[in-house]
Amino acid sequence: MTRADVLVRAGRLTAEGVPFALATVVAVQRPASARRGDRGLVTGAGELFGWVGGACSEPIVVREALRALADGEARLVRIGPPGRTAGAADRDAVVAASSCASEGVVEVLVEPQLPAPLLAVVGGSPAAETLARLAPEVGWRVVRDLRSEAVAVVVATMGHGDEETLQDALVLGAGYIGLVASSRRAAAVLTALRERGVGEEAVAHVRSPAGLDLGPCTQEEIAVAVLAELVAWRHAQVVAAAPPVEAVDPVCGMTVSVEGAAATAEHDGRTYYFCCAHCRSAFLGDPARYAEAAAT
Amino acid sequence: MRDVLPALERWAGEGLRIVTATVVATEGSAPREPGAVLAVSELGEVAGSVTGGCVEPAVYEEALAVLRDGRPRLCVYGIADEEAFGVGLSCGGTVRIFVERFDAPLLEPLRAAIDQELPVAVVSTVTEDGSGRPPRLVALHDAQPEIAEALARGESRLVEAGGDLLFVSSFAPRARMYVFGAVDHAGAVATIGRFLGYRVTVCDARARFATNERFPDVDELVVAWPDEFLRGAPVDRRTAIIVLTHDPKFDVPLLVAALQTDAGYIGAMGSLRTTEERAERLRAEGVDEQQLRRIHAPIGLRIGGRSPQEVAVSVAAELIQALRGGAHAGTALVSGATRER
Repeated sequence: MTRADVLVRAGRLTAEGVPFALATVVAVQRPASARRGDRGLVTGAGELFGWVGGACSEPIVVREALRALADGEARLVRIGPPGRTAGAADRDAVVAASSCASEGVVEVLVEPQLPAPLLAVVGGSPAAETLARLAPEVGWRVVRDLRSEAVAVVVATMGHGDEETLQDALVLGAGYIGLVASSRRAAAVLTALRERGVGEEAVAHVRSPAGLDLGPCTQEEIAVAVLAELVAWRHAQVVAAAPPVEAVDPVCGMTVSVEGAAATAEHDGRTYYFCCAHCRSAFLGDPARYAEAAAT
Repeated sequence: MRDVLPALERWAGEGLRIVTATVVATEGSAPREPGAVLAVSELGEVAGSVTGGCVEPAVYEEALAVLRDGRPRLCVYGIADEEAFGVGLSCGGTVRIFVERFDAPLLEPLRAAIDQELPVAVVSTVTEDGSGRPPRLVALHDAQPEIAEALARGESRLVEAGGDLLFVSSFAPRARMYVFGAVDHAGAVATIGRFLGYRVTVCDARARFATNERFPDVDELVVAWPDEFLRGAPVDRRTAIIVLTHDPKFDVPLLVAALQTDAGYIGAMGSLRTTEERAERLRAEGVDEQQLRRIHAPIGLRIGGRSPQEVAVSVAAELIQALRGGAHAGTALVSGATRER
């Protein structure tokens, strides 16, 4: 897969709305098998396409890519033998010691590419129209009906089925569900939901009135207040996202991601994860010793 | 009323008589603010709206009646809580709507004032007995103080003046937003500023960056030293000054100039450290603590946004809050964001 192929695949994944991380080699100290500009792409399943250096770099890049996908932050990763990665901390880089036979150092920029979230704006009210107009300007994909893929749902029908839409949105399990209505009307809608048998916890999931309280607002200002709440909600989601599951390679001591691990082995009813086939071979040569060392 | 002007001009051009129904007051909540207009032509054509569609049919009938007899009417629509799901205003609010003939000769001077960005108001005399004078056009410079007060703030609302109840429909020029620093964030802030109805100017000293290609969505693009430009630019209480230059060479003289205006919002971008260093420099320039507190820095509500667009949302939200006086303090956002669990 050439560097250009990686970009073509990245374009396809972007169009499909699939998250991935792009990894680009930005600096090299020889000897190393990667060259500046080499590029790879890591999927959420931990698969790596492209070239970012050999078996020593790959598990580290995959690990950092999955971390980046979880927290949404790009990172610079400096990979080299212990002792040669000094100074990287000053440059806001993640330092990773490789057990590579070659003495080289590579620096890889790992950038998460998260698809624009999908917002369903339901209703034909002025508030709904206005929000649907602004949201795409600030990086949301917008649909005007309820869909299961929508991570956020804003209901503003102005009395034309708020209850039904909210109930459906709760069933579909959207993370953010907001109701644009006056506080009095919102209270009536929530009461109606309870009467329909919707549980208290589900009712509490509905943000009403939707949006930060910024004061008495025009339609445009309401749209901004709702979007501000959506940004805050999304940020909290990213921060709270579960970090990827990782394990320590019992042979070389490297932290590797369990998802898409280069090699695994079973011993004594437990699964061990390795940075590469080489470590796995070493482990299988004397599993009891490595397992014991890993346990201490 | 602004949204129905094109329709009014078309009807007037065809020589048709026109009736406007204007929301003059709301109680509780209502879908549209005072100043919202439903207009009806002599041929029964309709433009605009006064609610979300709840009372329009009734208002339409009133408008036809005014077309017939020429007598203005004040109509009140509201409903009790228990009827909140029935016909009428589902939000439970009350709206007062004044229906009157609209004189076509007002339109030409009104359009001229709007095009020249001069503050002007259509003033209606609101009566319940069907008497009263027809609406008139009032410019800021020769308005009674009560009318001038509303117009200067760009507000459309009822005022009492000289024993009359008047509805002032303000056509204030768009409020101004000055964005300094032709950075990525500036484009995003300009877009949302225009969405909010601002007349947006982006200013940067560097001609290479302040280009139409980078900022297609602004009203004015200025290559000038920010502080020099601001000193010569019109600023009032509705003005927003947004400083994204984050370079002390520009920021400090610019903020000193901004603090000498009565701008309604002044925000400056930069990390906490930059903000603290900048505050020191401003103190050295003679800015006192009370003035420093006028500067929203770091700019934007703390909602955790990263992209320029998300930052622009946080700036717009802070701006609205500052001008509208909402309860949502920036620091309280953590609880808002974690309500999700």
